[in-house]
Amino acid sequence: MQVEKFYYDNKIVRNFAYATVIWGAVGMLVGLWIALQLVFPGDFPHGLNLAPYFNFGRLRPLHTNAVIFAFVGNGIFMGVYYSLQRLCKARMFSDKLSYIHFWGWQLIIVAAAITLPLGLTDSGEYAELIWPIDVAITIIWVIFGWNMFGTIIKRREKHLYVAIWFYIATFVTVAVLHIVRSGELPYTWLKSYSLYAGVQDALVEWWYGHNAVAFFLTTPYLGLMYYFLPKAANRPVYSYKLSIIHFWALIFLYIWAGPHHLLYTALPNWAQSLGIVFSVMLIFPSWGGMINGLLTLRGAWDRVRDDVILKFMVVAVTAYGMATFEGPMLSLKSVSAISHYTDWIIAHVHIGALGWNGMLTFGILYWLVPRIYKTDLYSKKIANVHFWLGTLGILFYAIPMYWAGFTQSSMWKQFTEAGQLKYTFLETVTYMKPFYAMRSLGGTLYLVGVLFMVYNLYKTVKAGKLVANEAAEAAPLEKVYVAHKGEHWHRWIERRPVQLMVLSLVVILIGGLVELIPTFLIKSNVPTISSVKPYTPLELEGRDIYVREGCYLCHSQMIRPFRSETERYGEYSKAGEFVYDHPFQWGSKRTGPDLAREGAGNLKKTNGWHFRHFREPSSMSEGSVMPSYAFMLKDDLDTSDLPAKIHAMITLGVPYPKGYEKEALADLDKQAQQISNTLLSDSIRVSPRKEVIALIAYIQRLGTDISKNPTPTFNK
Amino acid sequence: MFTFIKQYAEKITGAHIYAFISLCIFFLFFVVLLFLVKKMTKERVSELSNIPFDEAEIK
Repeated sequence: MQVEKFYYDNKIVRNFAYATVIWGAVGMLVGLWIALQLVFPGDFPHGLNLAPYFNFGRLRPLHTNAVIFAFVGNGIFMGVYYSLQRLCKARMFSDKLSYIHFWGWQLIIVAAAITLPLGLTDSGEYAELIWPIDVAITIIWVIFGWNMFGTIIKRREKHLYVAIWFYIATFVTVAVLHIVRSGELPYTWLKSYSLYAGVQDALVEWWYGHNAVAFFLTTPYLGLMYYFLPKAANRPVYSYKLSIIHFWALIFLYIWAGPHHLLYTALPNWAQSLGIVFSVMLIFPSWGGMINGLLTLRGAWDRVRDDVILKFMVVAVTAYGMATFEGPMLSLKSVSAISHYTDWIIAHVHIGALGWNGMLTFGILYWLVPRIYKTDLYSKKIANVHFWLGTLGILFYAIPMYWAGFTQSSMWKQFTEAGQLKYTFLETVTYMKPFYAMRSLGGTLYLVGVLFMVYNLYKTVKAGKLVANEAAEAAPLEKVYVAHKGEHWHRWIERRPVQLMVLSLVVILIGGLVELIPTFLIKSNVPTISSVKPYTPLELEGRDIYVREGCYLCHSQMIRPFRSETERYGEYSKAGEFVYDHPFQWGSKRTGPDLAREGAGNLKKTNGWHFRHFREPSSMSEGSVMPSYAFMLKDDLDTSDLPAKIHAMITLGVPYPKGYEKEALADLDKQAQQISNTLLSDSIRVSPRKEVIALIAYIQRLGTDISKNPTPTFNK
Repeated sequence: MFTFIKQYAEKITGAHIYAFISLCIFFLFFVVLLFLVKKMTKERVSELSNIPFDEAEIK
């Protein structure tokens, strides 16, 4: 057959490689900054908080989004665009689509970097971006898929190598996850409320959140591992058979695991159990993949000593193994009882992000950049320095955080002989500071390593010249494929990308639907509580400020049924308490105390206390790491969207009276005036139309619905 | 939003059977998968795992 000549597009690979490096450094820098904010918590220049735009609560989503979607996201596209062309023996389907994909994705990142510090957020973890950006992500993702499938369809290689299956599963699943999680009702051009409330919102969030880890941070990177590790080691993957089992088992099991983020919460028990069972089973495909990666180096381990790229890859795969061993363990109820809400989880995710994603990305960059520039890596020595800084950085990061997690949990649960809680929450916060400082050191080492890489790659690029269009040749695919007798079934599907996509979609949908639908449809899963009423207009405005400032990133609103928690925070949380919470605010971390019952029982404080606390947290809680919110004392409450907000809530099924949009403002003013009056009696003169008043109203409302004394006793 | 689906879903009797059926389907899926993977020939496995090395670049 006539051999065809064609050209690989290396320019798009180069672009994504640059974006990976740049956004990686930015995302990590923001991470380091917020880590240091917990060590130096005051307002600038005494501390590192620059209110309001660069406070912890606004920067933390910027860090997570930058690392996940900008650093790893661009890393995925870099690797996919390089490997897919070669595995398909074809140039990308359309240069135009590649171009739109690249610039569209970078614009989305820039939009995120602008909107998040402005406090424009949907508040779902890793799904914070506002609805117009969600729409843009959908469009760009479809363009990526279109380009990928176009390339696969015009390929010159009959069979789809296992890496491509992982890419296809990634594309399909991320699309489904993103669309379901972005279910929201816009009420202005920038803002929206989640379609789901309370328990349902929480389940959708962690179904999404965990699968963002699974299908954004894991499956595409496994695809990259299956291509780049054999290439770097110059030997085929250890077991191709294992890779087939690895693929199907992983995508089937992963989609069910989300509820392990909600153990001991108000999520129905059956959903928690499903999450646990599938999370435990996940260890098999995960370790199957890890072993397959590591054993690819069988007989070549001596090369790992000299080859810095292999070093990065070995640490990456090992970190993957560690994180995926730890994951199932953390999903056991008894372990989750200790680890949830603590810094243990922060350590766990950073083993994954810094170890698995980071080190694999660096290995690929060192392998790929010299190749597309037809030159050698500028300095192996510098790359080695990077390797050690990175590895030590991970250790210095993770070990203090594991230690901190255990310590936090033990201190929270410690009782005195007399049966009282031994430590106040604040004592546990101040005890963490040395650990936070050590973690920052780890982050610094890791970031410095990355800067060494930037220099090394820059010098490499300078020394070479980009082969923008790399010549290649291959025979075209036979139009009619004659199946061999007794052909293997998987061979059939390996030739059919569309069927592979559909089958992957079916596999992932089953897990998602079985968990989500009953929670939405069966009333007994969320028993209603008659005393739970919708928020007043002022409380609703206050709640939106709470969301805007990212308070949920440090404060949970979910008391688990443990004595150590009910003693500290009051009655454990019930599913029916959250039916009007669009979006839910359970949080996942307690850098500060739980606030589910902050307005009720023993936890209730006066309005004056809250006012002073927002102005200067450490004046009321010495040693607090919370940033100051003094700007809310000056900023006027913007009520221009209130009618739209109430209207949206009514549309979502919140039982405000008909036509309440028109009356809401008067009720808001009335309640604000009451709070302002109570503050006056505490010698605080503040206009009722300031933001702080709304936030105080919301905080004072928390937990009062089902408390024995539901009438707020302001300023007691 | 879900009222449309809800009014039908609540009327389904014996819905638990779907969970059981899906479990069976997937159990069978994996049994068949393992069986067929086991049956793959050595040559075939070697051919597939060498796809990344069968590069089309002009040296």
